[in-house]
Amino acid sequence: MRSNLFPFILKSTLALAILGTIGLSGAASVDDPLAMLRSSVDDVLAVAYSGHGNENLPARVRPLLEKSFAFDLVTRQAMGPGWRQFSPADQKRVSDLFSELVIRTYSARVVGTQRPKITYGTPSELAPDRREIPTHVTVPSSSEPFAVVYRLIKFPTGWRIYDVLIEGVSFVANYRAQFDEIIQKGGAPAVIRTLEAKLAAPVESRS
Amino acid sequence: MNSLIFSLLPLLLFLSGCAVTGQHSATQPVHATSSAVGDDFANVQVQKVDDPFQGVNRAMFGFNDKLTTYALRPVAHGYALIVPLPARTGISNFFDNLQFPVRLVNSVLQGKLKRSAQETGKFVFNSTFGIGGLFRVSDHVSGLTDIPPEDFGQTLAAWGLPPGPYLVVPVLGPSDCRDIVGFGVDWAITPLDWHPLGVVRWTIIGNAASFGLSATRYINGLPKAIEAYDQVKAGAVDPYIALRDGYLSYRAAQVKK
Repeated sequence: MRSNLFPFILKSTLALAILGTIGLSGAASVDDPLAMLRSSVDDVLAVAYSGHGNENLPARVRPLLEKSFAFDLVTRQAMGPGWRQFSPADQKRVSDLFSELVIRTYSARVVGTQRPKITYGTPSELAPDRREIPTHVTVPSSSEPFAVVYRLIKFPTGWRIYDVLIEGVSFVANYRAQFDEIIQKGGAPAVIRTLEAKLAAPVESRS
Repeated sequence: MNSLIFSLLPLLLFLSGCAVTGQHSATQPVHATSSAVGDDFANVQVQKVDDPFQGVNRAMFGFNDKLTTYALRPVAHGYALIVPLPARTGISNFFDNLQFPVRLVNSVLQGKLKRSAQETGKFVFNSTFGIGGLFRVSDHVSGLTDIPPEDFGQTLAAWGLPPGPYLVVPVLGPSDCRDIVGFGVDWAITPLDWHPLGVVRWTIIGNAASFGLSATRYINGLPKAIEAYDQVKAGAVDPYIALRDGYLSYRAAQVKK
């Protein structure tokens, strides 16, 4: 009896241990900014290079980006301190319009003729809830690899991207510099007008 | 020798202009770094901007934009049709390899001795195994990949010189006082441009060849440069500022490397 019981106990302990590790690694992937970044970049590339070309790419990429980008934070930071003077309705409108612009810009950037190869560096800590992850992007036919740095923030639901730096140029700071003057001159209405005009310009129409 | 002085004269005039405006701009408030209280806003570092000539700069930006649309883009488009990407990459590698003296001199001037050695190794590898620099075989040699290129603008920065006012140069595009001076000095030590400077004996053939090579280098780089410009413009709500911040941030990052 005993001798039969032992393997059983061993097996169940093993099973528990394995289950435990799976559970733990599942938790770790939510907790791990690098794993989160890798999987969201892979997901976007899979959609962008699925062979459907650029057709309607922003719409196809949108759900993925909404999962991995902290759009509210991105918008607030891009507007700068002037954001606090916006009415809640204006904030909502600006946030919607700006997110749409970010999604379009990002999808236009991500698509090319050849799928880029990405190598990830080690994350460094900016603050307890913020990390910076350097990556190198190589496009097969082009000679120079370029540096893309992702900045992530920890939310209760997991890590989210809040800024992307391409060759040292911060996406958020670049927009902040542009909106600074627009806000100073005309506040939220000017921002909304500018964004609406910008989004109306390309061929893809906004719903 | 005369030609050397004439070539450098505009540069010297320009330098004195920069020095004068530099004093003015030091007292100007930089509105881009407006006091941020909430931590949300403090996390974004906005590049400090010194742009006292914004009116002229914006006019120049408009001119360059029209020039790109009506002249450079058709040229780049035609060139890209005739010369396919692998050939363009080869040509750009070739000219890049020729720029080796510029990168070496500036690495030395900044006291970056390891980088000087890397640059030299890269030059030797690519000039020989890479058939005169057409192929960048150094990419497959460990320690010789991804060497940040140095130029005189970065050397001046390493010596403590601030960038000075932002400038949009006709045809060449965004720059600043420091980089304009850097551009002039690098031009003087680029082997391709030794002919017009009179370092090598002045001959018509020599000048024509030098001009031809410089023109090839410029046109070969156009498709890529225009693509980058289009990308900046595509997402921008104010393309002038997007390009200004992009240029200044990009250069600041290069200086740090």
